[in-house]
Amino acid sequence: MLRFGRVLFKEAGTGISKTLSEILVCPLSKQPLRVCEKTNSLISDSIGVSYPVVDGIPRLVPSDGKIIDDEEASNSNSAVDPDAVKNDHQRCSS
Amino acid sequence: MDNAIMSAASLHRTLPALPGQHSRPVSRSKTRLVRCSNERQVLFDRIAPVYDNLNDLLTVGQHRIWKRMAISWSGAKKGDNVLDVCCGTGDLAFLLSEKVGPTGKVVGLDFSKQQLLIASSRQHSQSKTCYENIKWIEGNAIDLPFPESSFDAVTIGYGLRNVVDRLKVLEEVCRVLKPGSKVSALDFNKSTNPFSTSFQEWMIDYVVVPAADIYGLANEYRYLKRSINEFLTGKELERLALNAGFCSAKHFETGGGLMGNLVAVRYGYIP
Repeated sequence: MLRFGRVLFKEAGTGISKTLSEILVCPLSKQPLRVCEKTNSLISDSIGVSYPVVDGIPRLVPSDGKIIDDEEASNSNSAVDPDAVKNDHQRCSS
Repeated sequence: MDNAIMSAASLHRTLPALPGQHSRPVSRSKTRLVRCSNERQVLFDRIAPVYDNLNDLLTVGQHRIWKRMAISWSGAKKGDNVLDVCCGTGDLAFLLSEKVGPTGKVVGLDFSKQQLLIASSRQHSQSKTCYENIKWIEGNAIDLPFPESSFDAVTIGYGLRNVVDRLKVLEEVCRVLKPGSKVSALDFNKSTNPFSTSFQEWMIDYVVVPAADIYGLANEYRYLKRSINEFLTGKELERLALNAGFCSAKHFETGGGLMGNLVAVRYGYIP
């Protein structure tokens, strides 16, 4: 069970808050998503798909996702546990 | 007497899913929109601006009462984390926001980008700070992007009738509800009473469609009668909810029998 906490959702332009990303999962695999600020998207490492965030609204209809090609995948971390999310976030942002 | 706007806004959900629409995306390195989605976007662009005004006009404000009842039946309370599926322009989400207060969280999910943009702009145009606890997600009701046991309550307003796979939606809703929590689904009532049915059809033909015609949306609203005919009765909805995994389900008729509200509880409820 997830704990939402008392932190208000934070929106920075078209960005997405980490808090929001923590309550969402991939609509297909139901596995956690990680934020990629570089592409302003949510990454499902479990199935290699990224979902866009537009005007602060995550687009998690399965057909909105796009398959991450091998080159993009090699720049990403495949770990999906919460601790890895933080590391991936930093790597993606660099 | 009806929430024609919400129903019309959900027209796209009645269209059959194209191959791959609810499965893994097919394009590599670029996004390819499904044609059906494009058509739905055009439809929503056309209808979205008049949604709320037509709601008030056609129901003489009654839809607000039915929605407040739906919120009450959901059991949502202060501090809860709640979800509104098929949120459209956000009517139920805003009511939920007031109910759960600033210590709670509301997620509004809808298939339509334009509906969500209107919901978002309504949110930001309001002065109530409690609306800051609402987050909008574009998603498909049959593939909810939330972990199991995420929410203290779920509402669906005029959405269940229009989704492609009602059983799957209820299964997903059951999955994301915390044990012991409820879903409250408000919609038109498919009555077994011939008088109610006739009156409902008469209202659509002689009140709703002419009103919608003013905006050039007569065809969209004529769809209502067929969609209600194809919907499930209260008893059938109760059975569907039980098949979806809920431990109890009850359908209440409101609005003089024109509307109905399904309330179902996920297992684990201790009275």
